[in-house]
Amino acid sequence: MIQVSGLTKIFEDGNKAIDDLSLEVKQGEILALLGPNGAGKTTAIRVLTTLSGFDEGEVEVAGHNVDREPEAVRCTIGLVAQQTGVDYFLTGRENLVLQGHMYRMKKADIEQRIKELATYFELDSALDRQVMTYSGGMRRKLDIATALIHRPKLLFLDEPTLGLDIKSRQNLWQYIDKLNKEQDLTILLTTHYLEEADHLSHRVAIINQGKIQVVDTPENLKNAIHGDSVILNFDSESPAVGEFTYALHEDPDVNDVVWQNDSLHVYVDNGGVAVPKFVRLAEENGLVINSLSLAHPTLDDVFLKYTGTTLDEAVEEEGDEWWHQWAGKGGGGGGKWQKNWEQWQDKLEETGSDEDKADWQQQWQQWQGNDDGSQSKPTDGTANVDSNKQPQSASQNKGK
Amino acid sequence: MFADTWHLFLKYTKISLRMPMWTLFTLIQPLLWLIIFTQLFKNFVQAPPEGGSSYMDFFVPGVLVMTALFGSSWSGVSLLREITAGTVDKMLVSPVSRVSIVLSRVMHSAVQVVIQTLIIMLVAWLFGATLNLGPINLLLAMISIFLLGVGLAALSNGFAIILQREEPLVMIGNLMTLPLMFLSTAMVPKPFMPSWIETISLINPITYAVESVRAVLVGTPDMSTYGFGAVIMLVFAGVSLAWAVNAFNGLRD
Repeated sequence: MIQVSGLTKIFEDGNKAIDDLSLEVKQGEILALLGPNGAGKTTAIRVLTTLSGFDEGEVEVAGHNVDREPEAVRCTIGLVAQQTGVDYFLTGRENLVLQGHMYRMKKADIEQRIKELATYFELDSALDRQVMTYSGGMRRKLDIATALIHRPKLLFLDEPTLGLDIKSRQNLWQYIDKLNKEQDLTILLTTHYLEEADHLSHRVAIINQGKIQVVDTPENLKNAIHGDSVILNFDSESPAVGEFTYALHEDPDVNDVVWQNDSLHVYVDNGGVAVPKFVRLAEENGLVINSLSLAHPTLDDVFLKYTGTTLDEAVEEEGDEWWHQWAGKGGGGGGKWQKNWEQWQDKLEETGSDEDKADWQQQWQQWQGNDDGSQSKPTDGTANVDSNKQPQSASQNKGK
Repeated sequence: MFADTWHLFLKYTKISLRMPMWTLFTLIQPLLWLIIFTQLFKNFVQAPPEGGSSYMDFFVPGVLVMTALFGSSWSGVSLLREITAGTVDKMLVSPVSRVSIVLSRVMHSAVQVVIQTLIIMLVAWLFGATLNLGPINLLLAMISIFLLGVGLAALSNGFAIILQREEPLVMIGNLMTLPLMFLSTAMVPKPFMPSWIETISLINPITYAVESVRAVLVGTPDMSTYGFGAVIMLVFAGVSLAWAVNAFNGLRD
């Protein structure tokens, strides 16, 4: 239904909104594009729905090339954008009629279709009221109904439940699910709610910085992180941190270690066995653990693994340079730590793990001691530090 | 394209009819001008050189054009709102003709302006203005006003697309409307103007709108003045519209 290969879109300011994105959506499936704000989800949707141009790549939607046959694409797709797009001063019916006319439908056909859609979305009683009297959930339903008036084969939903309360959200999920099952509608939706992607979609594509990091079923994605995650909180200023994290890294039971602000996420096969060991290890290194929690992996962990950040963080820190978070505050913020962690991981990749531990410790302290915002290059000059590094390198998998 | 334009035009008309107060509000300013100016200059200008027997008669066409100027110069503001609200995206994602999106807005604005001018004309008549209100005279005057409305609304929509923000658009609107008004023959006949203003008034489309309306409504109808003014209005409307449509087509990012 959708075939995208090598799609690249560069904004006027030189930012790559979409960077070599390839994606396939099959007939009859629901695919969720999951990613933080600014990841390129909306831009991708705009390109696929002919609203935006692009710089490179091939994009085929419903069997038509979006660049060469935009008209044919428009006739077969429906779009529910983030802003509702329905007219507040018109009634629900007037909105639907206008939409029908815009798709050049016959008058009788429009009426027939409005009847169907109003019943389907339970909007009958509200149909002749002005949209400004509608609740948020009703407005969304009307918005989806207008997008379906011309019986499209493919529906794009850009953050369909953004700003809705939990009840309306679950209500809408049912409709989306039903549309897919009963009407055989192929749906591409974007979201930054994990449970939405988990609940609704057949496959999830995690997108970050304009790139698809991974595409798979929610189950497979969760299974890929086997075992448990242990989340440790401690005083990140402590000089013992370097030694402790090094020890964790060397531990054969540890699958993966990821820094997330002031928390250290450690992925292990058996959390019950690992916890006492970690506590002991911290004590040996003279580190005081402030809090510790044990959890089964969720999609949030999947997201963390592939993008180096949790969704909540990514949403909050959107557009924030890492140094904004701590510059002028005398250090101690999460951003700097994360950056140093990345540097440290880089160095590990470059030099191998058998490097002298004392050296590590020294390096770590040197980076941490550097409070003026400029990052000192590793002394041996082997590791090349790039401050714009892709965040996924923040997580280093030990090849399990 | 015509069907598309018609359906979108109906939509804007419906919205206007739901908010009749808004349409009436834009009449307040021209009404005030009509009353204040005619009272203020009543004794001041005893013998208007071109047609009409009083300043009132001379000034009414000026107020009609002013109504068009104030009524249609803000059409772009609501386009920006529709872009922000996602309504324009909803149109663009459908196969609807791109031209008709701009065309329907501009037509709606021009028709609204014609209705407003008719109301002002009625008020002026009640105040005792002596106007040629024959159906042909009225029709010709309204054609001129309509074309002016099309041109101004198209300019406003074009600026809206280029500026992309409401504040500078409102600023430009304010900056344009008053000088255009004073640098034309809407309030003062040509012989009363300093020569530099007279020169500017010659390239000001508002002048030709006023002249053409005045030619058919006041005094002895002067068809050659009307014809020239109306042709200028037609060119003004056509060029502005083409420019706005072109700007709109370039909207795709």
